[in-house]
Amino acid sequence: MHRRHLLATLGTAAAFPAIRRAGAQTLTRATLRLKWLAQTQFAGFYLALSRGYYREAGIDLTINPGGPNLLTENLVASGADTFGLSGGTDSVFAAREKNLPIVCVGVAHQQTPFVFVTRANGPIRALTDFRGRTVTTWFTGANYVLLGMLAQAGLRQGDFTMQPQQVSVTPFVDGQIDVVTATRYNEFYTLMTRMGRENLRTFVPEDFGVTFPRDTVITSEQTARDKPELVQGFLRASMRGWREALRDPKAGVDAVMAVAPTLNRPHQEFMLEEAGKLMVAGQAAQQGLFWIDRDAVKSAHDFLLRYEVIKQPVDLAAAYDRRFLDAIPVADRVA
Amino acid sequence: MTAARARFTAPIRAGSRFLLGLLLAAAVWEGAVILLGIRPHILPRLSEVLSAIALTPGAYRDGFLRTLAETLIGFVAGAGIGVLNGVAFFRAPVLRDMLFPIFVVSQTIPVIAFGALVVLWFGNTLMAKAVIAFYLTFFPVTVNTLLGLNAVDPRQVALLRSFGASGRQVLLRLQLPMALPQIFVALRLAASLSLVGAIVGEWFGDTTGIGVLLLQAMYNENVVALWAAILCSALLGTGFYALVALAERRIVFWGAEQ
Repeated sequence: MHRRHLLATLGTAAAFPAIRRAGAQTLTRATLRLKWLAQTQFAGFYLALSRGYYREAGIDLTINPGGPNLLTENLVASGADTFGLSGGTDSVFAAREKNLPIVCVGVAHQQTPFVFVTRANGPIRALTDFRGRTVTTWFTGANYVLLGMLAQAGLRQGDFTMQPQQVSVTPFVDGQIDVVTATRYNEFYTLMTRMGRENLRTFVPEDFGVTFPRDTVITSEQTARDKPELVQGFLRASMRGWREALRDPKAGVDAVMAVAPTLNRPHQEFMLEEAGKLMVAGQAAQQGLFWIDRDAVKSAHDFLLRYEVIKQPVDLAAAYDRRFLDAIPVADRVA
Repeated sequence: MTAARARFTAPIRAGSRFLLGLLLAAAVWEGAVILLGIRPHILPRLSEVLSAIALTPGAYRDGFLRTLAETLIGFVAGAGIGVLNGVAFFRAPVLRDMLFPIFVVSQTIPVIAFGALVVLWFGNTLMAKAVIAFYLTFFPVTVNTLLGLNAVDPRQVALLRSFGASGRQVLLRLQLPMALPQIFVALRLAASLSLVGAIVGEWFGDTTGIGVLLLQAMYNENVVALWAAILCSALLGTGFYALVALAERRIVFWGAEQ
């Protein structure tokens, strides 16, 4: 039926070329590449898609999940994908430093989405206790956050053992390592269900003055320049989806479970709630979803520059383009 | 008479023994987990895994069919191109000397590195996965076709030639059939490899497939779903391998390797 409709439209368009533009709204094809597999961390996008908000904005959107070995920045820079929900401010800096032609047009998670977890009854009670301990973390940005936090406690690399964290948190649960890194919405849930919340102690980067906004919405410089209405339409529709997913979590979880039915529902419900908290934290509470907090971006930038993760300053005004958000009324942005 | 009956009952007997073996393995699995008190995130009970599949049968069925399609397309293309390559290399040694080293180099690229490229080139399409399955299958088939063709007794070729057979007739009537046992060795290998290719391909941001289910389960530490996906891929892998082996038995009925 869908195809027949399309054929009829095409037929009409062929017969009356003059009315093609004025007639049925022509949809712009676009893709969104996620930073990870389908899960409620991205519920708003899936809800907006299933409720047709992208179509209403004139966009025929396809959501492509991410996964290991995929770098969203590369896929967007090469034109394989139109939009990306990429790693975070850190991966945007890295991409801009490598001259990848991408711009960030929105930031989803306003605060650092991960924490460092130890056993509540274990020997680590303060950052200074990390000395001589074994920590696993992701070597994609979280390692620098940890280094930055520990530097404040006077610890340097070499005072503790830092290992790359694999898929599973089992080594921590089994007591083989002392500290594990956990996103608030994912690994932390697994840790809670396997060990109990009361048995966990967390070290939150924000408590030590380190903030890493993550889950950045990116597009190519070319799209931002040539199709500003596409970028704005995409952001608008995504906001609609997210507002509704946060207000009605069941609908948000349903939209994701429809594309990935084998997921664990309680975990996904928890994830949406935690992701929601990160999305409305900080300035986003007043300025709305996807807000680019320039101070937070700058502080993350300066932090990485200080640790020489990025070798040269990045032109932040060019890398983080807020004009698409600014064009949307605040009332439509706030969750 | 008895021979005919034996031919008829032997497969049934073998089949029922196989089923018995499966049931036994299932019972050992289920029993060991209960009796030895194995923690569910190390190894869940088989019944739990099966009920997880029964809970969302659509996801597993769609994944199975999608991966099957990718595997089949990659396998058929890989087998076809592989045999053609083998014949071309056999007939034109110049071509072999020129291209064979490049093929070898292509096979030393880890498929994981290749996967990211294929997604950049072909996007999230079924074709992208089929290409990876193809990439893993065409080489062994090429090599074994060439091996098989080279192993044909030159005296037999000379005999056919003396009867006035053309090069094409020699190839189709003698050389290819004689190479078939070798080719089938590669095809059996290719059956497993093409499945690996399809699954690895799905790890680069696809939405359906056994590889996607594996990845989701793995990264959500959902061990039950992980085993469910493993069971599905085992079913697909063994089923496909069995089909190729069956075809081999039918087509290369004279073959020594069984």
